[in-house]
Amino acid sequence: MNVRKTFHQNLEDLYLELLKMAGATVEDVEKTRKAFDELDAETAQEIIEFDDVLDDFTIRIEENGIELLATQAPVAIDLRNIIVIMRITQHLERVGDLCVNISKAIKSISGKRILPYVKEDLSEMFSRSERMLLRAIEAFKKRDISMAEGLTTMDDAVDRINRKFLTGYDRESEEEIELAIRVVMISRFIERIADHAVDIGEQVQYLVTGKFAD
Amino acid sequence: MMEKKIAIDSLNMNYGSFRAIEDVTLDILSRHITALIGPSGCGKSTLIRCLNRMNDLIDGVRVEGRVLLDGDNIYEPTYDAITLRRRVGMVFQRPNPFPKSIYENVAYGPKLTGMRGKDELDYIVEESLKKAALWDEVKTNLRESGLNLSGGQQQRLCIARVIAVQPEVILFDEPCSAIDPVATQLIEDLMAELKKNYTIVIVTHNMQQAARISDYTAFMLVERQGEPGRMIEYGDTNAMFTNPKDERTERYITGRFG
Repeated sequence: MNVRKTFHQNLEDLYLELLKMAGATVEDVEKTRKAFDELDAETAQEIIEFDDVLDDFTIRIEENGIELLATQAPVAIDLRNIIVIMRITQHLERVGDLCVNISKAIKSISGKRILPYVKEDLSEMFSRSERMLLRAIEAFKKRDISMAEGLTTMDDAVDRINRKFLTGYDRESEEEIELAIRVVMISRFIERIADHAVDIGEQVQYLVTGKFAD
Repeated sequence: MMEKKIAIDSLNMNYGSFRAIEDVTLDILSRHITALIGPSGCGKSTLIRCLNRMNDLIDGVRVEGRVLLDGDNIYEPTYDAITLRRRVGMVFQRPNPFPKSIYENVAYGPKLTGMRGKDELDYIVEESLKKAALWDEVKTNLRESGLNLSGGQQQRLCIARVIAVQPEVILFDEPCSAIDPVATQLIEDLMAELKKNYTIVIVTHNMQQAARISDYTAFMLVERQGEPGRMIEYGDTNAMFTNPKDERTERYITGRFG
């Protein structure tokens, strides 16, 4: 028998809303990757506009979370669940912001030619970050700590590629330098998407164990 | 240093052939608030009543195991129940002032123990009412009947009555279940004040009250109908309400009970 049915239904709704937001965020990242592959300014603009949708998700989830905290005095797993949902929504919102940053960069270098090996590396980072984000969300859904822990190792690979851009990129003309800066920025933005996936994984640890990750 | 005030050791308590609680072991720390929570019938009120032998008054009650107050077993045949109940006072669910004046309600206990001097009694009445956070509300009408006070005031009068005999431990058995929310908050604040000088044990079916006021929480449960109540989990209140160790505790405090 559940004596707090309404509350637990509201909590379930909050959870489902977060999963919807997570799905929308993953699509956003995927679309950003495609926009980058084509250096497609139009798609980049769509991504910039889509940010409002993610922001609305965040506001809704936070408002409902605060309401449940204020009115239902949740404890134990319920309390941790609400806290974690509210934190994850913020990470997803930041991922959305990073997609906007990348899209702005895409718009400014649209029509230019990026060296194929650079492009390959960035695409690689993109797909790794995307996979990490998916895995973080999956770990949250399954409350699977070992799945969440694997994210740190995955993040190392993304970090390694990111670091390459700081040293190993040819800069010949002034135009090349500007392009190089944009590329380094994009690399940095993608790297931060991966970081948010790691942070979401840490939230899963807190959800399951009640202990904060180091 | 965390000093043990009461040590409950392998306690069983039987009403005739019915075992109400079984194998409860629990340390009550000095000058802290310990809350006993659990669903109706889990034995929490029975347990708290074991701490000043209130159950002695019921026929057919048999207690096994030990309850040590400052190291002495209160269930030793030689242990004096009157002294025990003065050292371990109790506040009940429904406020139960005597049908006497406010003053007499508080002076009653000290008089019983032989205190006669007017100045001395005046002093102890005032001090007790102050400690029970009631003095300012009643100082001008001490001669009025205690029964004319509001429910919340009556409950604080009962607390003053307990304090007047200078106990070391105060047991609260659902002290707020018959009073309104504002009066409840007053009593909760009062308990936080009282724990500086007294060891407090409270039975409450309001889990949030346990979470708000207690330092330690013990969760009791009857797992299957007809079985005795047992201690499922005992520990730091904050840990219990954010991350309980036992799944049964979690199910109960989150309302996914049964």
